[in-house]
Amino acid sequence: MVSRFSFGATRPAFSDNLLTVFFAAFDLPTAPASAGISWPDVALSFFAIVMEGAPFLLLGAIVSGLVDVFLPAGLIKDWLPRSKTQGIFAALGAGLIFPLCECGAMPIVQRLIRKGVPPAVATTYMLAAPALNPLAMFSTWLAFRNQDPWLMVLLRFGFSLAVLIFIGFWLARLRPDQMLRAETITGSPRQARELSPNPGLVLTPRPGLSLGGLQQFTGAVIRDFTGVLLFLVIGAAVAAIFSTGFNRNLLAPIGQSAFLGPLAGILLAQLLCLCSTTDAFIIAAFAPFSVPAKIAFLVAGPIIDLKLYWLYRSAYQARFVHALWFRALVATFLLTLLYSLQP
Amino acid sequence: MIERLARQISFFAPAAVMSAWGVVMLHTIASGHIKDLLSPMFRSYVLAASLLLFALSIVYLVLYQPVQESAPALAPAGRLRQLGRWIMLLLPVVLAAALSPSALGNKTLQNRSSFDPTTGVTPMPSMGSTSQADVKAALAADPNQPVPVEVTDLVTISQTPAQIQSFEGRKVNVVGFIVNEGGRTKLVRWIMWCCAADAVPVSIELSGNTAGDWKDTQWLQITGTAHFPSTLGHVTPHVDVDTIQPVKEPDEPYLSP
Repeated sequence: MVSRFSFGATRPAFSDNLLTVFFAAFDLPTAPASAGISWPDVALSFFAIVMEGAPFLLLGAIVSGLVDVFLPAGLIKDWLPRSKTQGIFAALGAGLIFPLCECGAMPIVQRLIRKGVPPAVATTYMLAAPALNPLAMFSTWLAFRNQDPWLMVLLRFGFSLAVLIFIGFWLARLRPDQMLRAETITGSPRQARELSPNPGLVLTPRPGLSLGGLQQFTGAVIRDFTGVLLFLVIGAAVAAIFSTGFNRNLLAPIGQSAFLGPLAGILLAQLLCLCSTTDAFIIAAFAPFSVPAKIAFLVAGPIIDLKLYWLYRSAYQARFVHALWFRALVATFLLTLLYSLQP
Repeated sequence: MIERLARQISFFAPAAVMSAWGVVMLHTIASGHIKDLLSPMFRSYVLAASLLLFALSIVYLVLYQPVQESAPALAPAGRLRQLGRWIMLLLPVVLAAALSPSALGNKTLQNRSSFDPTTGVTPMPSMGSTSQADVKAALAADPNQPVPVEVTDLVTISQTPAQIQSFEGRKVNVVGFIVNEGGRTKLVRWIMWCCAADAVPVSIELSGNTAGDWKDTQWLQITGTAHFPSTLGHVTPHVDVDTIQPVKEPDEPYLSP
């Protein structure tokens, strides 16, 4: 259990000082001091996150490649309802039925948008798949089976659905150019650079090796995998720093507060960046948090956190992601606050 | 000449990056470091991904070649940006593979411990059927012999009054790493659901014959008597130690439900 390197520094973090002032202002019990950050542990957490995420990202890129080659654009358009509202509800339904992890979803959603799926519908599906999928609900039941599991599942599902409907209707009012990065928006006819597996070069099949579908498939897989991988690396680095260096007990004194509890839950979800099938196990064991604080954690985290922020940036404009972040967190806070304040 | 070199580097970069990730993944599996990172169910995915990345690298090199005449390479600024992008994909993962320790240290343990103002004990998350089966086996074992149990088994038992009654006073044999915190001595194990980033520590308290020149986070095997004292309704699993001895880190350093 001995670290091979010992260059970890112990010094009061800025967050400690800020929280001390905060607790004093609200006359709350003092939070325990942070133990500091261990950089070797950050490296271990970062490495673990990318080793866990990269296979799913590759799987997502492969599915994206298959969609690119085998799914005609017209077919998806025919499947989808004509009205935007129905499209949003269809996306929410798809999120329920087709479980997809956050890392694997990004390349698939980008490909679906290029195939003509309205960005509002594809984005709603991307947000709904981790938040509403049956595996997340089952893990919630399992994690809370000693603490009123059906109530927790019902609250998680109901509040997630409400937040996603609110976001879905907002998305339906946006134009694609208000949401997506220029390179994500479908170019028609498709440019040579878009087809290339290497964004830095225009490539051509070797003479005598023009394999059509296989070439298109590998090009899409490589481009999607390496394109999103960069954002996974950045997101994993941020997540590793906070999940390792932030003392979660700092939020314990406000975890039972009716008003501040949901805020603490949301903040912890943003910093820990957990997968939606794991988060319930972590928060179920966190005794200092009230039920509304735990629900806020479970609802906000799968929709957006510090790691997902960077993953979303691979396809969406920064301004849009900030607006999505703000709306998701405010909606989660208001719902859980209402639940928290009920008599 | 520089133009041609830049074009070649740019062409080989995706294959080099994907192969490097494949090598890092394979090395992590072969060296056993994967046990420090991921729960067992995710390890085969890493192996499959590494093989796929090698395959994709080969397919890329075999199928494609850069267009020489019609499309010029990127302008110098764009070329540098692309190079930076490939380095960003390569360097952090290689450095993390080389520098990451074999286990999380004491600072992270303190940061991830759940704080209970009454007892300071980490409440046990609900575990899967494996832990319940382990507990049943422990309860059914010969009461005259020390029962080999995990730290998590004792914490699971502490949550059910009937099991506490059956197990109170039983001789147990437990392995974990030792941590001294606020004048209390604890035996700790990390439990991990997916990866080391979500690992949380679970502990029991030790008393009795714990003397020895033990360093924090040193792996120990203890034999003693299990007790489950209750303070203000909070039960703390506790072992009164008879013997204590250093052991090697277990083959699986984390417990996975």
